[in-house]
Amino acid sequence: MEPTAELLPQHFQINPSLPIYEQFVEAIRRRIVCGAIPPGMRLPSVRELAAARGVNPTTAARTYQELERSGLIVTYRGQGTFVTRDGDIITDARRAIAVQAVRDFFEAAASLGLTAEQMLNMYREDSHDNEA
Amino acid sequence: MTTKLELSLQEPASVAVECRDLCLTIKKKAILDRISFQIPSGSLTGLLGPNGAGKSSLLRIVAGLAQGDSGTVQLFGKPAGPERLGELSLLPDRSNLPGWLRVDEWLHYAAGIYPDWSKSRAGELLSELSVSPHTRISSMSRGEEARLQLLTCLSRTAPLIILDEPFTGIDLLSRERIAAAVVGELADSKRTVLVATHDIREMELLFDRLILIGGGRIRSVDDVDALRQSGQSVESRYREVFA
Repeated sequence: MEPTAELLPQHFQINPSLPIYEQFVEAIRRRIVCGAIPPGMRLPSVRELAAARGVNPTTAARTYQELERSGLIVTYRGQGTFVTRDGDIITDARRAIAVQAVRDFFEAAASLGLTAEQMLNMYREDSHDNEA
Repeated sequence: MTTKLELSLQEPASVAVECRDLCLTIKKKAILDRISFQIPSGSLTGLLGPNGAGKSSLLRIVAGLAQGDSGTVQLFGKPAGPERLGELSLLPDRSNLPGWLRVDEWLHYAAGIYPDWSKSRAGELLSELSVSPHTRISSMSRGEEARLQLLTCLSRTAPLIILDEPFTGIDLLSRERIAAAVVGELADSKRTVLVATHDIREMELLFDRLILIGGGRIRSVDDVDALRQSGQSVESRYREVFA
């Protein structure tokens, strides 16, 4: 049986003030990396994606272009578009997301005038207090 | 205007609609005042503006149902006019379908009127838009009748689709179905769609191009992706322009 899953969560909230394809790419990338969308799954067509989410078909097409560029999805002519079965590509994507999350963490610390270590300590103290 | 320049640099050959200095005066009042814009082929353009902005007058002239006093309107590089009606499918602001007919009778009739009618497309749209073929038109709800009107409009294969206020008085689910049908149309056939509406939130995710009109004048022409790149939504742009 072919693996199936929703490409995006049913109630995915679109922010109309930011490029929509970027929001789609980001969300789908995360869902592939965490396994919510299984490797080898067939993706809906550009038309289906656009109609289901009420967005311009160009937005859907661009979403797929971006994901294809990163190798996370693959199009086979005449067959459709599928999530890659290449585990290395998925691992790399997971790593990239993780690294970005840590980078964001460092940036948040810097913006508060703290080191990452200081911020971590605050977190530990806080959780300790809550447990006590 | 920078927008004009950008367009002509991008795709000089594929302009679906072009207005240049279009003016219309009725009883000494300027309804349209030097309207100029271009709509690229394959785009879904939103024509937005407050009531009385001139949207319907403009659409009627583009469709060839009325004439301006001066200026030019071109469809696919040739002048607009009544003889071009076969190249566009218009959903008018207010229209009446024959209430004494059943849906299937109406569609049979429409297939006879329009040379570019696609029977298979009409069949698909019946289920996409959830219109029952055996209902008598006079017994339909407003939302159902609006969906039937859109169905009639989209069952033609004309390269330009013009929708004037497709959502007025229509419930949310009908709106979603209508929006999805319009998307399907655009994705399948590379047709050009021009929609006049003041329901910004229903449509803003669909537009790739935005024309704001107020007081008979073009207030701005924007690429919607470029707006979002700069952190603006269609709605915030609208507020900015008309505030």
